[in-house]
Amino acid sequence: MKLAAYPAFTATAFQSRLAYRNQVWSGVFGELVFMFARIAIWTSVFSTVASSSVDGVTLPQMITYALLAGPVLYWDYSRLLRDIGTAVKSGDIAVYLLKPLLYPAYMLASHIGNFLFDLLTVTVPVAIIIAFTVGLVPPASLFHGFAFLAFWFLSFAMLFLLTAILGLAAFWLMTADSLDWFFNSIMTLLAGGIVPLWFFPGWLAAIAGNLPFAWVSYYPAAIYIGQLDPAQVLTAFVVGLLWFAVLLGFLLWIWARARHRLIVQGG
Amino acid sequence: MARLHIVIPALVHAFIKSKTEYPGAMVLGWLSQFAAYGSMYTTISLILARFGTLGGWVWPEIALLLSFHLLAYSLGASLSFVQFREMEEKVRMGTMDAILVKPISPWTYIVFSGLNIGYAGHIILAIGLMVWALSQVEVTWTIQSALMFLCYLVSAAMIVAAIMTMIGATALVWVKSNHLFSIFFGFWELARYPLNIFPLPLQILMLTFAPLAFMAYVPVAATLGKPVPLLGDWAGLASLLAGPLAVLLGTLHWRHCIRNYQGAGG
Repeated sequence: MKLAAYPAFTATAFQSRLAYRNQVWSGVFGELVFMFARIAIWTSVFSTVASSSVDGVTLPQMITYALLAGPVLYWDYSRLLRDIGTAVKSGDIAVYLLKPLLYPAYMLASHIGNFLFDLLTVTVPVAIIIAFTVGLVPPASLFHGFAFLAFWFLSFAMLFLLTAILGLAAFWLMTADSLDWFFNSIMTLLAGGIVPLWFFPGWLAAIAGNLPFAWVSYYPAAIYIGQLDPAQVLTAFVVGLLWFAVLLGFLLWIWARARHRLIVQGG
Repeated sequence: MARLHIVIPALVHAFIKSKTEYPGAMVLGWLSQFAAYGSMYTTISLILARFGTLGGWVWPEIALLLSFHLLAYSLGASLSFVQFREMEEKVRMGTMDAILVKPISPWTYIVFSGLNIGYAGHIILAIGLMVWALSQVEVTWTIQSALMFLCYLVSAAMIVAAIMTMIGATALVWVKSNHLFSIFFGFWELARYPLNIFPLPLQILMLTFAPLAFMAYVPVAATLGKPVPLLGDWAGLASLLAGPLAVLLGTLHWRHCIRNYQGAGG
């Protein structure tokens, strides 16, 4: 299938979400609760220290980090995992194999649509509410602002690749239900979405900082608030690109294996 | 009316048998949920390791709060969550009608025909963490205080089951009610932290209309002898009464919705 046809899947996914409008306000509520819990936690612990900053980070910067690392960057990967799991479990995956398309690319196009829908209807309103009620800080500099945008693309690609690889494991396990919980456990700790890596013990920060999960939340958000200098930003970007290439190669390899392993129940 | 002491074990046995048909998936489910909560608690412990306290609570106290929260939730939700999350579907597909004509209370049938053993991973983690936390916190235990602690736990589980029942019952009238579970889990998330770190309006809300403060914070604070906002010395008694009161309201709401059930077609 021609590459130009894939954006149609993005548009379709976006439009199909419009049919479930009550999910929007429950999504906004969920993210707001998440954010106010984080704000309350960081406000509480920052009040216990004598200075206005901890490890060079002020409370407004920490709140901005929490918004970026959580609702903005850590999009709803469960939907992707569930889609792949359901397609394998129900046998619908066979229909995709008959079509002249690359299934992982179709999933990517489709979930860009979901991501854009959530960004516009949930994340942006939540960010506006937080900005007006609590306050958010701008990027540390113009360089950090542009670097954040580049890392945002990388973050989306990394989370997509990690989830898609995990989802394809359903070809072997015949279920993706537990994988969501396992992946969540890894991301909660190692992506830096809840606690940034600079609050980790040194040895754990060294490990987590070199694993691909950190490119999903930690690096983009830390760069936005200026925790990395330009040289560190460039190094992190190169290492991130290497991880991206490795994960992309692995996804294509596992997809090639999965196609030949397909078992549809009853057929 | 069928004899409950025969029917309930039979319903539970049938459901457990259906789940153990896939032992690999079941154990994987337990392990994955154990890992997910363990990871979240490790993350919270990192904050405590760096800053020392959260709202005046040190790590063993927070660990007790988290374990109480998880255990109360697991006990209450095993009786209610998945069962009542499926109420929308039951109403929409018309299978609720079939449940209503069974010679057994619909609530009893729904709850025990789906008694969720999937919470085993939650319960193992919660008990393990609670045993450790109780050995670390400074509490002088007597038979009376130990009994009170158990009663707090039962009361907290009753709150969870009652609220889930009320959300599920709402589907009988509104047809849709699963979005209310999103709101429940929002407050559920807040309920695992000390209430005093939140702004006053939120504290009031979680002690009244969304009473999940009684699910963990209030009973644990009463056990540890910590000051509880707005309730003060009444925290222990309020923790004991919150569960039965929630069950009473849940029963009234369930009966009201059953009486007004008209199916998805109106």
